[in-house]
Amino acid sequence: MESIPILKMGKSLLVSIQVDMHDRLAMRLQDDLTARIAQTRARGVLIDISALEVVDSFIGRMLANIAAMARILDARTVVVGMRPAVAITLVELGLSLPGVRTALNVEKGMELIADMQAGGENGRHQT
Amino acid sequence: MIARQQQEMLELSTPVVQLWDGIVALPLIGTLDSARTQIVMESLLQKIVETGAGIAVIDITGVPMVDTLVAQHLLKTVAAARLMGAECIISGIRPQIAQTIVHLGVDLNDVITKATLADAFSIALQRLGLTVAHRT
Repeated sequence: MESIPILKMGKSLLVSIQVDMHDRLAMRLQDDLTARIAQTRARGVLIDISALEVVDSFIGRMLANIAAMARILDARTVVVGMRPAVAITLVELGLSLPGVRTALNVEKGMELIADMQAGGENGRHQT
Repeated sequence: MIARQQQEMLELSTPVVQLWDGIVALPLIGTLDSARTQIVMESLLQKIVETGAGIAVIDITGVPMVDTLVAQHLLKTVAAARLMGAECIISGIRPQIAQTIVHLGVDLNDVITKATLADAFSIALQRLGLTVAHRT
């Protein structure tokens, strides 16, 4: 069965969705990703959806769910590269993903994750 | 003929201007309806992709009236821009419109709002870590 590769970069996981998502693939990604976060103790998750042209409410909800699950496992999620049409669709569907951080491209997403991690670590070291 | 003119008017009425590297502005003038908001939203998002802007300023100085529908449209635009990774600032809210928005019970708490475009621009510069200084 096909699955979406999850790459580890430092303390972050990188997920690049390059194929059309269907529901089963989305569920599989959810399982794989939560397992990988727990296994690698990743602090950040970057999901690149720049190749994703079509989203429906299921995929939208899945993105929100993944972010919420990652949050529970102490990792911050950044969704990057959303296309204008996808953004409009999600908003029209009433899914504005309030718990998810977003960035325009992977580069900015990595910066955001680095900032968040630096902020968190400084806070801990100071005590 | 009229349809084509309408289409052209729609396109003319929604310019997205780049204020700075990383800041785009959308000066809205005239009444907003659903069709227009759709185009406004699309052109703003398109511009954000093109310029890689992190901050978008929506200036509603020229919008004569804000009702629940217009406010809803604005919030949708802000939400869509946020999904793309850009932060939105709404500026040019006149006192009358501020009163209307509160009376309508529209929740703008999650959005940065400023009275003038100048204020919005200075906040945008601040967010990007830039300062404007007098030449000494």
